[in-house]
Amino acid sequence: MLNFDWASDIPQETAKMIFFGLYLVIGAFVMLLPNEYIYEGVPKEERFWYNNLKIWSAVVLGILATVYYLF
Amino acid sequence: MLAGIDYFIVIAYIVGMLLLGLYFKKFVNSSEDYFLGGKSLPFWAIGMSIVVSDIGALDFVGVSGQAYRYGVSVGNFDWVGSVPAMLLAAFIFIPYFWKGGMYTIPEYLGRRYNKSVRTIASATWILFFALDLGVLFWASAVLLNVLMGWPIWISILSTAGVVGLYTYFGGITAVIMTDVVQMIIMFIGGFALVFLGLHAVGGWDNMVEKIATMGPEYQSHFDIIQPSDTSSPFPWTGILFGLTFVMANAYMIGNQSIVQRCLTAKNEWHAKASMIFGSALKMFIPILVLFPGLMAVVVHPDLADGDQALPMMIKSILPPGLVGLMFAAFFAGLMSSVDSLLNSTATLFTKDIYEPFIKKGASDKHYLKVGQITTLALLVFGVATSPISSDFPGIYVAIQTFMSYFQGPLFAILLLGIFWKRTTQWGGLSALVIGIAFAVFLNVFKEQFFHIEDPFLYISWWSFLVAFIINITVSLLTKKHSEERLKGLVFSSKIVMKTKTV
Repeated sequence: MLNFDWASDIPQETAKMIFFGLYLVIGAFVMLLPNEYIYEGVPKEERFWYNNLKIWSAVVLGILATVYYLF
Repeated sequence: MLAGIDYFIVIAYIVGMLLLGLYFKKFVNSSEDYFLGGKSLPFWAIGMSIVVSDIGALDFVGVSGQAYRYGVSVGNFDWVGSVPAMLLAAFIFIPYFWKGGMYTIPEYLGRRYNKSVRTIASATWILFFALDLGVLFWASAVLLNVLMGWPIWISILSTAGVVGLYTYFGGITAVIMTDVVQMIIMFIGGFALVFLGLHAVGGWDNMVEKIATMGPEYQSHFDIIQPSDTSSPFPWTGILFGLTFVMANAYMIGNQSIVQRCLTAKNEWHAKASMIFGSALKMFIPILVLFPGLMAVVVHPDLADGDQALPMMIKSILPPGLVGLMFAAFFAGLMSSVDSLLNSTATLFTKDIYEPFIKKGASDKHYLKVGQITTLALLVFGVATSPISSDFPGIYVAIQTFMSYFQGPLFAILLLGIFWKRTTQWGGLSALVIGIAFAVFLNVFKEQFFHIEDPFLYISWWSFLVAFIINITVSLLTKKHSEERLKGLVFSSKIVMKTKTV
């Protein structure tokens, strides 16, 4: 059990899908956060798309998913 | 090995770092300035500092060596082993710590659990960090000795002198701002090696093709996901459960030297953004440290020790000038690790040990002085203990391994502490103590329990799980904390929806 023997039958491709699933879950969590929370600390008149941290997170997760797709 | 131009670059780099670090002395007027940079730093500087503190010269050599032996699966540590944890830290944990005006992670544990949890966590970090210092001083001395021909003790004292001076006077602002320059140098040196290396192996496609035809042991060199029954230390189950779920989160959320940087941010947005920006930069690290190892498989296929991969690539590929830059990059990695350890340990000691146990209620100037004197004392301790590394060459790995065993239980109590109101002080304390003891037990008897080469990922996961269960069980059996005591310490959807309420 300590060696995760039960997982030895899971194909590598399925394992990879688990990692993609994880990125999706984290992405969904970030997207569901209220904008007020995302922008906290930025004055209302300075809240532009480029300081929306949801976009930053989506880009980072997108690059990460691409790396795992390529390898 | 170094040409005249290389010597010039290295010495210019060292002197430049010293002057830059000392410049920030004028911004230090209080203990908050010294430990938290006066809460005035921008996200980009903090993000760059997080990345460069996380990667040292020893990692450069070690990761390249592992890439030489095991292929791209080593990249998991900087990709899935960092990015998801950094995003969760950015949106859940860091805002709490920042808003709470905390200086240290054990300070949060003390408020959420009790003084004993705070002291155990802090003392463990102080012990590991202090021991690490000596190892890093020795490593930098060996580098200077081999490449510049400086005697070992001159090398140790010059590293300690340069890093010590700017950390002593400039505090965390000097640490972070020198890290920014160190990261730029590291990226320039690293990318130069990668581009020239790719040229030497005839391009990426050619390298992949050559490695694939080198024999059956290289067939999975480009598979980032390794089967769960692989003999390498990176089965996907270990990567998912041990690394992604436990070690990465424990590191990004529970490591003082990482989190302290985010607490220096000028506002909450900068604190969150620093982690996300850092995660974006982090994704480039495998290119710098992993690709040279892969290229070495083609250029130097018969190396007896994988750790020779990077030095051999530098020697055979880089022209004069760039060798000096690459060496400066190595040195940057070491310096950033040393300055982080110095400042974080001084913060932990002053805030978690000195202030509560030795002198409560002293003036701010007094704590500033204590932080500076602790920095100095650590410097002396690091220099004095550095020869231990030459007597026990495996000490760096041993320290890192034991540190990883502390992280599973630490993350368990952090996670439950912030997400579950019912967690009690006794639940947290017993989980931390029993969890660490269980990790040590698994490590001692690892041959009996595990099939893979180095099961640190599995040990992290199981010690986390044991600590998690112990925390829940003991908490349910002991008296719960009052609502008043938990105010501002436990995650609530209300805090996300109405951020002003905290």
